[in-house]
Amino acid sequence: MVRAILEVTDLNKHFGGIHVTQNVNFRMVEGEQSAIIGPNGAGKSTFFNLLTGYHKPDSGRVVFDGRDITGQAPHVIARRGISRAFQVSNIFPRLSVLENVRSAVHANLGVTMNMFSRADKIGTAETQEFLSLCGLNGKETEIAGQLSQGDKKKLELAIALAGKPKLLFLDEPTAGMSLDETEETMNLVDRLNRDLSLTVLFTEHDMSVVFNHANRVVVLNRGEIIIEGTPEQVRDDETVQKIYLGEHQI
Amino acid sequence: MTSGGQNSHRGSQWVRLLFGQGDISGPVILALGIGALFVPLLPGDFWTEVSIEILILGLFAMSFNLIYGYMGQISFGHAAFFGLGAYGTAIMFREFTGGTAEITTTQFFLALLAGPPVAAVGALAVGYFCVRLTGIYFAILTLAFGELLFYLVFSWYGFTGGDDGIQRLLPPPVFRDPTVYYFFTLAIVTAAGYAMWRITRSPFGYVLRAMRENQLRTKFLGIDVRRYMLVNFTIAGGFAGVAGALWGPFTRSVGPLLLGWQESGIAIFMTLIGGAGYFAGPAIGSIVYTFLQAYVTGFTVYWPLTIGTIILLIVLFAPGGLLGTIDNKLIARLRTRSPDSSTAGREES
Repeated sequence: MVRAILEVTDLNKHFGGIHVTQNVNFRMVEGEQSAIIGPNGAGKSTFFNLLTGYHKPDSGRVVFDGRDITGQAPHVIARRGISRAFQVSNIFPRLSVLENVRSAVHANLGVTMNMFSRADKIGTAETQEFLSLCGLNGKETEIAGQLSQGDKKKLELAIALAGKPKLLFLDEPTAGMSLDETEETMNLVDRLNRDLSLTVLFTEHDMSVVFNHANRVVVLNRGEIIIEGTPEQVRDDETVQKIYLGEHQI
Repeated sequence: MTSGGQNSHRGSQWVRLLFGQGDISGPVILALGIGALFVPLLPGDFWTEVSIEILILGLFAMSFNLIYGYMGQISFGHAAFFGLGAYGTAIMFREFTGGTAEITTTQFFLALLAGPPVAAVGALAVGYFCVRLTGIYFAILTLAFGELLFYLVFSWYGFTGGDDGIQRLLPPPVFRDPTVYYFFTLAIVTAAGYAMWRITRSPFGYVLRAMRENQLRTKFLGIDVRRYMLVNFTIAGGFAGVAGALWGPFTRSVGPLLLGWQESGIAIFMTLIGGAGYFAGPAIGSIVYTFLQAYVTGFTVYWPLTIGTIILLIVLFAPGGLLGTIDNKLIARLRTRSPDSSTAGREES
């Protein structure tokens, strides 16, 4: 049996009287590339937040790579090997593109308490590698906050990758991107998944992205998983069509 | 190249020579350093003493800027650590001399060495609570702790001398000469300034700037934000303690007001005048503030009115301070950026 890298058991979260995550059971195996879909308010981002320590679950258990990470702080979970990119680009806006990625490289190299060496001499090759991987060559000196929306998304992906994660969460990775950028970004995600066996879980509203790039699709509605399966199974499921897609076929 | 282009290129070269890439350049620092060597040649001791004050308060303000300019949190209680450093040294003075005898040179150095650790331990204890919060809550908590320490020193007559403070902090005879004390202070402030500069350029310094820009993203890099805030708060407190340690032997006494919010305000004023976003900003602010204070109080008693007006004008018309204004208005158009220096000096504008 293929080893599970992530196992979520009976996960629950309430905000006031609203039950935003309901008894979610979920499992990912190493090297998998899955998508979570669902209408707005389905609880996709909350689910990511619960897995990455941004919110603490009310009950349930999250096991990553054989360790219980339930309710641990974001920095602890990140150090265990989970990186994420947010729905709204989350970067260091007044630092240069290079400095954004270099900061993440430093964190991964474990040199962030070093007070004596020059920061710009550490991790240069790795930084350039991630910039080039994400198509940000030539933009090193630009101030991150002044980049286009698409480039901000690419930069956040570069920051997330610089952590050399085992599991990568991408919350709407192509939001704000042009068609070409979308294709380029998702091809990169495919390549990382295929060549580096990076396990990827992403949410996306663009169904063509979901069905072309995910091996498995999980449908979330009102905090509950209503179906999971191959893209074909999900596409053909009547409940999904009614609840999420209305009466229209994809 | 057109004539305009040549002029612009020449302008750019001059600007880079003067301003470096993002902060005051090496040649300017060298020029200031050489200039500093000649201060004691000015007639009388007055300007030498003003310069000692500039150096000590400049170091104090630069230590404050580690918290404000680099970490992005404002502390209204930073003077508590300046004061703790001053008292740490002063109490050692008193213990060595018994209040009457002359202090020896060795005892003098030992007393000076006592100040910074006292300040750093104080900052560690205060910071432990303050770093749990950010923004206005952090600011108010630092103010509350600062006032608490002020009151403790103010009321603990048996140990701190209460509102009388500790008097007769006479350094060894050789250091009573303003010129000697000036060069001694210059050496220590230069060393401390260099250490802080190295810290801001280190990976740790990058973390400070990352935390200032986006604490959430920093956490998701795997960085324990509170821990780094606490370390930086302690370091900044330690450097404020170095400044405080130098202050007592300079003024020959220490008093509880050194820990008060007004003293913290001086560091904030200096930083705002020079430019919070620049490593050299607080040092420039210290030169302007102390020089103006020395000059203005020579012919009017309305110094608070004067400095209030200056701060008002800076906040309204030059929010980046002196260096920020020069940078934004003049240099931003001319600077040819290199990847890591594009924001290395300019922390905030």
